[in-house]
This record gives sequence, C-alpha cells and structure tokens, in this order.
Amino acid sequence: MIAIFAVAAVTVGTLGLGTWTVRLARTTSDLFVASRAVSPWWNAAAISGEYLSAASFLGIAGLVMKLGAVALWLPVGFTAGYLTLLLFVAAPLRRYGSYTISDFAEARLGSPRMRLLAAGIVLGITGFYLVPQLKGAGITLQQVTGAPYWLGVVVVGGIVSLNVALGGMRGITYVQAFQFWLKTFAIALPACLLLIYLGGLPSQNTLFGDGVPRAPADGLSVHLDHSERVVFPAASSYTAGGNPHLARAGQRVTLPPGEVHLSANAAVPLAQDANTDPGSLWSRPVESGGSNGPLFVYSLLIATVLGTMGLPHILVRFYTSPDGSTARRTTVRVLGLLWLFYLFPVVYSLLGRALAPGLYVTGQTDSVVLRVPELAWPGEPGQLLGALVAAGAFAAFLSTASGLLVSISGTLSYDLWGRVRRARGAEDRRRRFRASAAVGMVLPVVVALGAAGLDIGVLVGWAFAIAASTFCPMFLLGIWWRGLTAPGAAAGMTVGALVATGAIFTGLAVDPGPGALASLLTQPAVVSVPLAFATMIAVSLATRARRPDADVQQLALHAPEGLGLAQLERATVPAAEREGPEHPVRT
Amino acid sequence: MREEGRGGRRRTPRDELAEATAHGDVYLRRLVRAQLALSISALVAFIGLLGALPLLLILVPHLASVSIVHIPLPLLLVAVPLFPLFVAIGWTYQRRADALDEAFRELVGRP
Repeated sequence: MIAIFAVAAVTVGTLGLGTWTVRLARTTSDLFVASRAVSPWWNAAAISGEYLSAASFLGIAGLVMKLGAVALWLPVGFTAGYLTLLLFVAAPLRRYGSYTISDFAEARLGSPRMRLLAAGIVLGITGFYLVPQLKGAGITLQQVTGAPYWLGVVVVGGIVSLNVALGGMRGITYVQAFQFWLKTFAIALPACLLLIYLGGLPSQNTLFGDGVPRAPADGLSVHLDHSERVVFPAASSYTAGGNPHLARAGQRVTLPPGEVHLSANAAVPLAQDANTDPGSLWSRPVESGGSNGPLFVYSLLIATVLGTMGLPHILVRFYTSPDGSTARRTTVRVLGLLWLFYLFPVVYSLLGRALAPGLYVTGQTDSVVLRVPELAWPGEPGQLLGALVAAGAFAAFLSTASGLLVSISGTLSYDLWGRVRRARGAEDRRRRFRASAAVGMVLPVVVALGAAGLDIGVLVGWAFAIAASTFCPMFLLGIWWRGLTAPGAAAGMTVGALVATGAIFTGLAVDPGPGALASLLTQPAVVSVPLAFATMIAVSLATRARRPDADVQQLALHAPEGLGLAQLERATVPAAEREGPEHPVRT
Repeated sequence: MREEGRGGRRRTPRDELAEATAHGDVYLRRLVRAQLALSISALVAFIGLLGALPLLLILVPHLASVSIVHIPLPLLLVAVPLFPLFVAIGWTYQRRADALDEAFRELVGRP
C-alpha cells in the first residue's frame, strides 16, 4: 500500500517537474540541446540519471545474486566507458556543435546519406533499449501494487511522452538530475539501514564460505506459476504437489506449478543458469577458467566499455554543455556520481543470497532489490524501505526512457522528417519535435505490451553490441583521423552491425552452452568492433579521393573556444541553431 | 566565451580564416597530436590498471583467503577501488587537456 503511494509520488513529481519546465523550453535549441547551457553538476546528474536504468538499479544486484561476483565487472565496465568517452569524445563532440548524432555524421563526412544511415541505427539502438525499460516498468508496477502489466507500460510511456513533448531536452535535463538523486537516495538509504539493523552481513558462510543458499529456520514456501527446471546444489528434501521428495547433490529436477515447500535449512534448488557454487566460489570475481574465466571477464569489459561509448542517447547529452572544457568537467563529475551509485547494488545481492533464497527457486533474482527490504526487516520499517526502492526503480524507468525518447524525437523530427520536407521555420520545427515525441513512443509501447511473456533482456545486449560496432568506431575515427570518408564509415558501420546482430542471433538459435564460444556470441563486440574499425580504415583508404576538407573539420573539432573564430566554428553549426532572433545570444 | 579580436580591433571572418589556415593550421595539428598523446597515455594507464586486476586475482589465489571486515578481498577489489581510480585519472586528464587548450589559445591569440 505504501509502495503505491511512493510510486505515485515519483510519477506525479516527475510529471509536475516536467510541466513546470515547459516555460523553460521556448526555442528549438531548448528542445534539442537545452540551449547548450547546462552547467557541469546539473548535466552530470542528468547524464547519470539517464544512464542508470533499470538494468543498473535492479539488474546488477540480480545478476550478481544469480551469477556470482563475476557480474560485478558490469558496473566497472559501464563506468570505464565514461572514462574513455572523456578521453576521446566529450570535448571534440561538443565543439563540433551538432544537434543530433546523425547531424554529426552528415556534417563530418559531407554526405547526406550518412545522416540516413546514422538515423536508422539511432532508432534501432534506442528502440531496443526503450522496450525493456517499458517492460520493466510494467512488471515492477505489477509486483509492487498488483496492477495489470499493461498499466505500468502505458503510464510510463504516456508520462515520458508528455514530458519530452513539453520540456524537450531542457526540461528533461532537470527531471533526470532530480531522478539521479532520488535513485541514489532510494538505493543507498535502505542498504545502509538494513546493514545497521542486521548488524552486518548475515549467513556469511553462505556468502563467502562453503555454504549454499538454504531455507530459513521457519522453512520456505514458494509458489510457482509454471513448471520450473531447477538444480539442487546440495542434497535436500522438498515437498511439491503435496508429495515429499528427496534430491541428491547436483540433481536436476522439473518442479511442477503450485506450492513448493522446503523445511528448515534444506538446500534451496536454483533455477536454470544460476551459479550453483558454494559461497567461496560464488563471491570470486574471476576464476582461472570455465564460464567465469578471464576470457568472459575481458570480453564483458570490452563490450560494456565500447558499447557505452556508442550509445546515441548518451552521446547527444554532450551537446548540452556550454563548451568543450565544460563537457570534460561534466564527464569527470559523471564518473564520481556513478561511483557513488554503484557502491550499493552489491549490498542487495549479498543480502538477497542470504535472506531471499526463494528468488533462486523462481529464477526472479531480478527483483531482489525490491524484495530484500521486507524480508530483511519484517514489519513497517521494511515496508517503508521497500516502498522507497520501488519509487527509485520507477524513477530509473522514467529517466532512462525520457533520455531515449529525446534521442528518438530528435532523430525523427530533425533527421528524417526534415529530409522528407523541410521545416517551415522555427515554429514548425518545434511542432515537429513535439509530435515526434508522441509518435515515437507508440511503437515501443506496442512492442512492450506484446513482449509481456518474453525474455527480452537480450535486446539491451544487442543495443550495446550494435552501438559498440557502429558509432564507437565512427566517432573515434571521425574525431581523430583526418582520412575517414563517407563510404568507409558506411561500410564499417554496416559490417559491424551485421556481424554483431548475426552473432547474437546465432547464440540464441544454437545455444552453445557455457564456454568461450558462448561469451563470444553473447558479447560479439570483441570481434565485431575490430572488424568495423578495419573495414572503415580499409575502405576509407581506398576512397581517398572522397576525403572531406580535413582542415576545416579538424578546426571545428579540436580548436578550443575563445579564439574569436566564431564564424568559422559556426560553419558546422546546424541551420536550426542559426535561426536568428529566436535564438538567445551566445556569449 | 567568445572574445572579439584582441586590442579592441574587430576582425572580419575572412581575417580569422586566413590566419587559421596559414600558420594556425600548423599549431592546430600540433595541438591535436598533443591532445591525442595525452588521451592515449591516460588510456594506457587505465587499461593497464583495469586489465591487470583480473589477472592479479587469478595469479594470486592467496588473495581470496584475505578478508577485510569479513568480506573477501577479491570482491572488495572489484567493487570499490576501481571507481575512485577512474575519477582520479579523469580529473588529471581534464586538467592537462584544458591546459593544452589554454596554451594553444595563447599561441594563436598572440598579438
């Protein structure tokens, strides 16, 4: 009950903040790039707020609980991705002064077709990323309040659409900054209070010793909606369908739907693909071989770092800084804010393994963050803390979905619509952005409604792999190499996207089991990114004659602001921003 | 941020362009090279540290038997110290990169 109020408060607060920011969004530049006037701290909080999606708020804790400490490399890779963005992309990207990612592609390479290609990839990546956010919102609302699945999807879709249409990038920046601090508070406070209440970590033998998850002293009853294939990590006994059964260590069993009961201290069966090792191995971040071996860890790190570098909704945020140096300072602050947030998910996975073994039976480790507070602290305090994390999770869906929709709306209205028919002045351009914010949400909502029963976690991995294999090489070479040509970039992005997609679908189709091949197929970045780079360089060298004027491009990318080269820098500033009277004077 | 031409004289865009393509271009190449070298050295430092950690954890299995506040050291090493390290590398890089930009500004803005 409290949780309903908490979720409603976040929703109303977000909507209120969004509506309040309408008056801030007057110009086209406000809608697309927040008039490039966002200060480092605000922007850093907004970037972090946008980036910390449900995958970070709920997913990391769930994955660590399920797979073991090896999943702790995920937040490390996510954060390291921002460090590489800082080193190679942040300042030049801002200095170039585009409106959208596709804008950059066309202006840098002097080819209108690059805009179309880039726009298509932006829509693909953001779409794949948006659907799981909506699905997560539906499931969370269902678990927390008992509301039907479609309600959460429609509510989040509607609110995000409205906020983006009203406030554009400028409004969303404030909403996301607010949501970053809300999320951090919502994950940090319960973690700290629970640890104080419990007097440290419970069941340390299960966590770090030779123990496996076991039923609590008063037994464990789990309700299964459908039959579940499980593995017993140790010898155990259980009651299913009213009949008592014995299980050997390592035995695979298919539990029937209905009630499953385990008596006190019985070893808990784990749903498929959970880590069945005892605590001492479960808590080891890397092993010398096998599915948690160094190959898996390195390919995971490379995939997350390069993927983060190519995510269009992240890249577009760098345009909102006032200048290149501010973009750098913003990114350093992002590193600090992510550090703060990522301290806490691991607390939930440790508490979850110790106190919520039932989630292993159903395989719903993803909801560990939502469930742990009530299990660890029975009664009202636990319910209050549970409501707080539910509110934080909802803020995560809202802020990430908002950022994605800003990217989608910008691409739809400016890169695609603008090509079909030129906008008639600034008023028309703003109208189109707002219309796109409404239209761009329709398809993702429909897909999310249809995907209620499907495991769509693969979509985010796919989005990351495509981002890593297309935009990451395009930006790195486009910024630092004079020789990149439009045919080279197009060929490299196509090869990268095809190889990444092919690998992921092969992995889904043939189920290679654990091992080196599996890590390659689920994280193809290790192969597809070098291939994309090689293709870009080779084709660019072969089409040397089509090199754009490198001197002007280098000046626009790398010359620091304040040289009095205003006219020259503006050569690359998109037409929409040179609208004259409606655009505020840039100082 | 943008300044008018120095000494109160307002220069036309053509002057600026001429200056930029004549000797400004040489300086710009030098700046881009210096920035790239700085970024790559920071990248090497960060890849070295991050990349060494999984190897360290495998090659020194003894670390697993060390616990701090009851938590095994390998878990702590992944969960905590990398993040402040990233911030430190990022902060150092940002200061140096801004300093390079500033030096370039002085060079080109010379009367």
